[in-house]
Amino acid sequence: MSSDLTARRIRAKLVELSHQARTAHLGSSLSCVDILVALYSGILNIDPARPADPGRDRFILSKGHAATALYAVLAARGFFPEELLETYAKPGSPLAEHPAPACVPGVEAATGSLGHGLSLGLGFALAAKIRRERYRVFVLLSDGECNEGTVWEAAMLAPKHGLERLVAIIDFNKWQATGRSCDILALEPLKEKWEAFGWSASEVDGHDLPALSRLLKNVPDGSGKPIALIAHTVKGKGISFMEDDNNWHYRIPDAAEVSAAKAELGVA
Amino acid sequence: MDDTKFIIGMRDAFFNSLFEIARKDRNVIIITADNGAPSLDQFYEKLPGQYINVGIAEQQMIGMACGMAFEGKKVYTYAIAPFVTARVFEQNKLDVCAMNLPIVNLGVGAGYAYDIMGPSHHTVEDIAIMRTLPNLKIHSPADSITAAALAGITHRDRAPQYVRFDRSGIPNLYEGRKESFEDGLIEIRAGGDVCLISTGVMVHQALKVSDALKAVGIRAGVVDLHRIKPVNEEKLLGILERGRCAVTLEEHRLAGGLGSIVAELFADRGVSKSLLRIGQGDVFVFELGGRAEIWKKYGLDAESVTNRIRTWMDSPKRASV
Repeated sequence: MSSDLTARRIRAKLVELSHQARTAHLGSSLSCVDILVALYSGILNIDPARPADPGRDRFILSKGHAATALYAVLAARGFFPEELLETYAKPGSPLAEHPAPACVPGVEAATGSLGHGLSLGLGFALAAKIRRERYRVFVLLSDGECNEGTVWEAAMLAPKHGLERLVAIIDFNKWQATGRSCDILALEPLKEKWEAFGWSASEVDGHDLPALSRLLKNVPDGSGKPIALIAHTVKGKGISFMEDDNNWHYRIPDAAEVSAAKAELGVA
Repeated sequence: MDDTKFIIGMRDAFFNSLFEIARKDRNVIIITADNGAPSLDQFYEKLPGQYINVGIAEQQMIGMACGMAFEGKKVYTYAIAPFVTARVFEQNKLDVCAMNLPIVNLGVGAGYAYDIMGPSHHTVEDIAIMRTLPNLKIHSPADSITAAALAGITHRDRAPQYVRFDRSGIPNLYEGRKESFEDGLIEIRAGGDVCLISTGVMVHQALKVSDALKAVGIRAGVVDLHRIKPVNEEKLLGILERGRCAVTLEEHRLAGGLGSIVAELFADRGVSKSLLRIGQGDVFVFELGGRAEIWKKYGLDAESVTNRIRTWMDSPKRASV
C-alpha cells in the first residue's frame, strides 16, 4: 500500500541522512517511522499550506533525537521542499540533530532533552480546553524517556483536567542507550501504569499501519480521559541487520550498509 | 484606624495588582506548584478559569506553561524561589528561554528570607544561574511598591522573566514617590565618595550603611538595581561617574551575583574605579538562627558592612579586604 511505500522511502532517507551527516540515533528514528507515517497520512488535521492554522492538530516529537524521522515525514507531506533534507546537520541548515524552535514549518516545539514534551503538550491541550477549541495534541515519547519523572508529573495532571484530546504515544522499542529499557528500570507493566494514572491506555503493534490508524482515529475515545498508546516497535525496524540491535543507537552506517539497507527496502 | 501601617508583602502587592490586570485580560493564567497565598485566593475564587494548581511538580509546571504560552496565554508561574530557578533550570533554559516565550516565573523568598529553613529554601544562587539564560529578564524588587508596579511591567513585556520576591515585612522605600520603575534602577541617594549598589532587601541595608558612613564624614550614594538583567548600563555608569569608588552589596553568593555583574561591566567598559564586592562567600548556611544572625555571622549586617567599607576606603591599594 502507498503509505507502506512512504514508510520504506522515509526509512531509506533516514539511513542516507545518518550516513551523510554522520549523526547517531538511527535505530531510534527507524522505530517510530510507522507511527509518524500513520499520524501524517490522514490522522492529523493539518494543512502544509497553512502550518500555523489555529485549528490544526498539534504534534510534538518529545523524543527529539528522532528528528530526522520527523523532518523526512514533514518534507514528504509537503511542509517544506524535500531538497532541504540534504542540508541536514550541515552549517547554515535549519535542520539540526534536535528540532530547534520554529526551525521549519510543522515543527511545533523545540525538543531534545527528554521528559519535556508531554508537559508542553499538556499546556497546548489545556489552553485548547479553556478556549473550547477542538484540536487534538499528539506527543510521541520514547520508552526510555518514561524514566524521566516529569513524564509522570504530567501523567498525573492531564486526567485531573479531563484532557481527552491529549494523546501520549510511547515508541516502545525495548531499548535505551545502554541496554534493555525493561532491565534498566522497572518500566513494565507500561499499559497498566498509564491506566493507573488515569489514562485510557491501549497497546498496539507500532508497525501495523491499519491498527495504528484505527486507534489514532478514535481521539477522543469517549472515555473522557487522555489517551496513552503503547506502540510496540522494533529498534532499527525495516533493515534486517539493524533490527533490535542497540549498536544502532549510536552507530553510523557506511556506504555499503546504506546500499544494503536501500536494497532491502526496495528503494533505489 | 490603627496608626501602625501594615506593610503588604511584595508577593501580595504583586498578586493584587496582577489580579486587576487578569480581570481585564482573560489570557492571563497563573499556575502554582501547590504554593498558596491569601492574595492568590482571589484568583482561585473569582477567576477560577485562570488559576491552575499543578501540584508539587515544578518542572511539569514550566513545561506546561510554555505549551499554554504557545497558544497565546500570558502565563505566570509561582513557587518558592529555588523551585522556579534551580530546580527547573533546564525547563527555563530549553522551554522558556530558547523558545522565547512570555512566561513570568515568580519566586518568593529571595536570599535568606526563609532563614531557618536551610539551604533547600535559601536562594543565594538564583541571580548567578538565571542571568546566564538568553532572552530572560530578572527583576529584584526592594519593596512592595516596586513589586506592585512589576505586575504591569511584566504583563506588558513579552520577554521571559523571573521576579524574585522577598517575604513580607520589608518596609516601603517608594511610598508617595512617583517612580515608573521602567529604567531598571533608581538612585535613591546621591553621594560623591562611594556608590553603594544593591538589590532587593539589601537596598535597605545599604541605606543604613550610608547613614552610618555619613556620621563619619563619608558621602555614600545608594542605587537600587531592581532590574538585574538587562542592567541599564548607561544609567548606572552615569551615576557611578559621580562617585570615587563603588561597593556592591548583595544577599547572594559572590560567584555570579550582583558584584560579578558590576565587575564585568567595569571590565567590559574600561571603568577603572575601585570596586568592593560584599556578599555571601562559597558556603552553605546550615546554622539555625534568624536572618539577622546569618547577616551578622557572614558580615552582611549594617555594622559589619560599614566597617568593611571604611577599612577598604582607608587601605592604600583598595584591594578587597
